[in-house]
Amino acid sequence: MNGVHDWLYMTLAIAGLTVVTFATRSSFFMLPQSVQLPASWERALKYAPVCALTAIVAPTVFTREHQPFISWDNHQMWALLAASAVFAKWRNMTAMICVGMVVFTALRWWA
Amino acid sequence: MKRARAHLFAYCPRAEFEAGVRSMAPFTVAIGVWGLVTGVAMVNAGMTMPGALAVTLFVYAGSAQLATLPLLAAGTPLPVVFATALLVNLRFVIFSAASRSYFMKLPWQQRLVAGYLNGDLGFALFSRRFADDPERGTPEQYGYFYGGAVTNWAAWQVSSYLGILVGGMFPSEWGFELAASLALVAVLIPMANKFPAVAGIVVTGVLSVVTADMPMKLGLLVSVLAGGAVAVSIDVWRSRA
Repeated sequence: MNGVHDWLYMTLAIAGLTVVTFATRSSFFMLPQSVQLPASWERALKYAPVCALTAIVAPTVFTREHQPFISWDNHQMWALLAASAVFAKWRNMTAMICVGMVVFTALRWWA
Repeated sequence: MKRARAHLFAYCPRAEFEAGVRSMAPFTVAIGVWGLVTGVAMVNAGMTMPGALAVTLFVYAGSAQLATLPLLAAGTPLPVVFATALLVNLRFVIFSAASRSYFMKLPWQQRLVAGYLNGDLGFALFSRRFADDPERGTPEQYGYFYGGAVTNWAAWQVSSYLGILVGGMFPSEWGFELAASLALVAVLIPMANKFPAVAGIVVTGVLSVVTADMPMKLGLLVSVLAGGAVAVSIDVWRSRA
């Protein structure tokens, strides 16, 4: 499939993603008050976003051509590790993205 | 236009709205960087300008937008795209359950709009300020909520549009998809504050890399299910012990 270049695919994608935004953000605002969130569900709901974000980020950084790519030559990997260390220490997203991109660019030019 | 607005927003005093704006103001720099990165990443992934603008306005969920971007670029089947966005957005279900008592007095149109505006930062600031307030659903609370949420919304929209406009100027070797991944990691790290979450991240991360060559992004689903199961099991086991 053509992905983002396909008009129909993108229109349906945007429509569906809009529904997902409203269905999650407004979920309990729209449900009758008698419907409560069961405590056991709260656990699953808490960990799902963590795992979903990991499953997206990890392959984009740690694979190449769909194969694991853990190597000195993986510039994105070193940039991500440096940036994560910066964020873990200072909790500053702007600094994190800057450091990550500087490390990546430096390795791309000189390594 | 004026009538529609009166219908979609609850009445609130101006002073509290301004207090909400002031509390969100320091975060607009980070929101702006994140929006800029998202705008550039969408255009670099091949989205048309109207498409990227529509996503910014209607989807309005940075982490879900960035998470689905590589999937959309690869033409992944839409059910997989929607499932991924849903998983990333499930935290908002918890937010809406936690803050519903403040909003249930309002008509449904206003609740729908309030939900759309109830992002991570707005929720955090609002909960911190009104958690101990015995009264729920006062005009002061709506004012503070709208002030923060609308500021967040405006900063996101403006910076994303800017990114979409200038996005084409950055060559792809600059690695803007890496900036998008870094922005997602900035959301991920604060969530990794307990052992079950860390275990879930490790299991999901390793599995998602190993299964990256499975067709139709099935590896994504498999690794999220396995990692999520590990995290929930550890949490349950630790709360019993």
